Amino acid sequence: MKEPIRLAILGCGAITRSEHIPAVNAYPGVQLLALVDTDVSRANELIQSHGMSCQAFADYREVLGQVDAVINALPNHLHVSSNMDCLRAGRHVLCEKPLAITAAEARSCTEFAEEKKLVLAVGMNRRFAASHSLLKLVLDEGLLGSIQSYDFQYGVAFDWRSASGFYFDRTKAGGGALVDFGVHMLDSVIDWFGPVTLFDYQDDDWGSGIEANLLLDVKHAGRFGDIPGHLRISRTFALKNRIQVRGTAASAEISVHDPEVVVIHSAIGGAPVSQMLRLGKFPGGSSYWRQLDNFVHCIANRSKPEVDGWQAVRVLELIENCYDHKGRIAEPWAESGAEIGTVNGGVRK
Amino acid sequence: MNWRNETVFVTGATGFIGGRVCERLMQAGVPKVRALVHGMHRAARIARMPVELCLGDLQEPESLRQALGDAKVVIHCGLGLPSTIVRGTENMLAVAHAAGVKRFIHVSTAAIYGITPPPGSESEDAPLRWTGDPYCDNKAAAEKVVLRYGKRGLPVVILRPSIVWGPYSAWSTRLIDDLRAGQVAFIEGGRGACNTTYVDNLIDAMVLGLEDDRGLNQTFFITDGERVSWGDFIRAHMALMEPPPEVGEISRDEIEASRGRRSGLLLGSIKAAAQVARSREFRQMLMQIPLTERVMKKAWHWVHSLPPEKRERLRRRLGVQRRAAKSPDAKFIPDAVTVATQSTTVFFSIEKARKVLGYEPRVGFAEGMKRVEQWLRYAAYL
Repeated sequence: MKEPIRLAILGCGAITRSEHIPAVNAYPGVQLLALVDTDVSRANELIQSHGMSCQAFADYREVLGQVDAVINALPNHLHVSSNMDCLRAGRHVLCEKPLAITAAEARSCTEFAEEKKLVLAVGMNRRFAASHSLLKLVLDEGLLGSIQSYDFQYGVAFDWRSASGFYFDRTKAGGGALVDFGVHMLDSVIDWFGPVTLFDYQDDDWGSGIEANLLLDVKHAGRFGDIPGHLRISRTFALKNRIQVRGTAASAEISVHDPEVVVIHSAIGGAPVSQMLRLGKFPGGSSYWRQLDNFVHCIANRSKPEVDGWQAVRVLELIENCYDHKGRIAEPWAESGAEIGTVNGGVRK
Repeated sequence: MNWRNETVFVTGATGFIGGRVCERLMQAGVPKVRALVHGMHRAARIARMPVELCLGDLQEPESLRQALGDAKVVIHCGLGLPSTIVRGTENMLAVAHAAGVKRFIHVSTAAIYGITPPPGSESEDAPLRWTGDPYCDNKAAAEKVVLRYGKRGLPVVILRPSIVWGPYSAWSTRLIDDLRAGQVAFIEGGRGACNTTYVDNLIDAMVLGLEDDRGLNQTFFITDGERVSWGDFIRAHMALMEPPPEVGEISRDEIEASRGRRSGLLLGSIKAAAQVARSREFRQMLMQIPLTERVMKKAWHWVHSLPPEKRERLRRRLGVQRRAAKSPDAKFIPDAVTVATQSTTVFFSIEKARKVLGYEPRVGFAEGMKRVEQWLRYAAYL
């Protein structure tokens, strides 16, 4: 039997707690040796609460000599420097999204991993939902007829309890909802429909660079021709939280509430019908478990991960382009009569 | 006072009122706004603005000292749990006083006279009364503490808005949800006084409180100054919906009779407790406890992993009725708090605010509804 991959997790925030640790504990091919957090008590608390035997460290550089690979779940702005340190030490890296704050940094990280012949995988867990590959099949097999357009919405009243709260600091997060939820959505649609050639982007940033809402119209040029798509993301209210792909013969829908299923809406004899599609053979476990599985296999076979650095680079390039050419979402309810009254007018009689 | 070049400190900044206060201050070009943030995860709306997000807790004076920084103006919209309102307000007052704050705007509520303010409470000189409701009573007690600090020299102004509404307000979003679920009734023909206070009108009053020394150590009712009834408020929201929802009428006698019919004391109490446990507010409070959050998340995943028929059986056994399961001819009975809220006949007078502060509501009900509709459509509620 092969030796398990010796692993360290960097960063003991919300995603490590809720997803990476359960995935690692349920995966037989890895041995978790270390949890790292500058607040070492947070690492110790996780070790105790999960009954694990690994060690807690405050500095990841102390553990790089003992492990084969790391899962990097540090705040966004620390991804590049820590990835580079890990790669320099000859360790494989599964880095949480986004790979870097800028596309240029992501590129240099990716090039360095290639040069060192190490695996650099990017944490796009949604790629490992059954519905992702299922929709690919549906599109490739022409079940929808000719693809016309898609509508992708994701919105929740933001409630992500990050340990550090970095996501509301522009320099640490790299942006707002587009960087946070948008990377997943853009990564998925580019994988399905091909590279984005045109876009029109608007958000509700009032000067901090941390938008809560955005509207993005894109056009893809891929194997299905020019496909227009509309993406909408909100951190302040719930949206429909689904992608709907319209074709000439049928439409397909994936709801984030059931990421293992694709629903096909069509008509038989004029009557609307819906079919639920599931993959008959698909590994169990969470999407994070499957992501880890892909990472481990790539290390063993020195193969390309499902989501590599170059794919992260193209998404980050698009995001940078959006931010560079953004418009402002009109908020007439907030703008009309918003001036603060003064002694000489306004609210005074 | 000339407050426009001062740093303004806003508590409750992640809430509906505080969030709009931050927006208006930004729009007014106030150079620096510091926002007290209890839970960073709630700050998405204000994080869009260049306000300084200052982590702190009204229950921890040291955190307030640090969060306040060099601010000399405080707009206190912060709340917390009913049981901590007084202590939280007192902590904020003490820290502000010690820091030499030049103006402290305290956002109180007209509900200091109870959820159903009785006739006689139309003007600010009506004596405070204890109603037994923890929110109302603690907000009333907090006012007394504010006035005490006013006497000690902290320049305070107390505003008592009533039903503060506008974009982002749960008064509208919850009403739309309830209308959709068939959970709204016109109580006594919807004649109860709604006392709408459009959020921007309230903020105008805050600004007047900052600018004018005549409001110091005083208390002001702030409303839109229009006699909008609950029926008007509900109907205005119904008019936005497609298909139009159906809303029946119910009298207080019918409500009383249905409560009497329902059950004996023990069963009634159990059902009431279950109702509280299922309420959004209770769940939100519960989720603030880390362990509960984890357990609830696991339980939620477990329930949703069950096949639909098992889930339905579990729901029935726990007494969790699906809203749609109500028989079509059954009359909807509003809960006790809704009945109490919509039963007052009192329209609060804003004459004192007009006379002393020069307050004049700029946004009337029709204009307010127009803005609410714009936002509801944008936010995909409609």
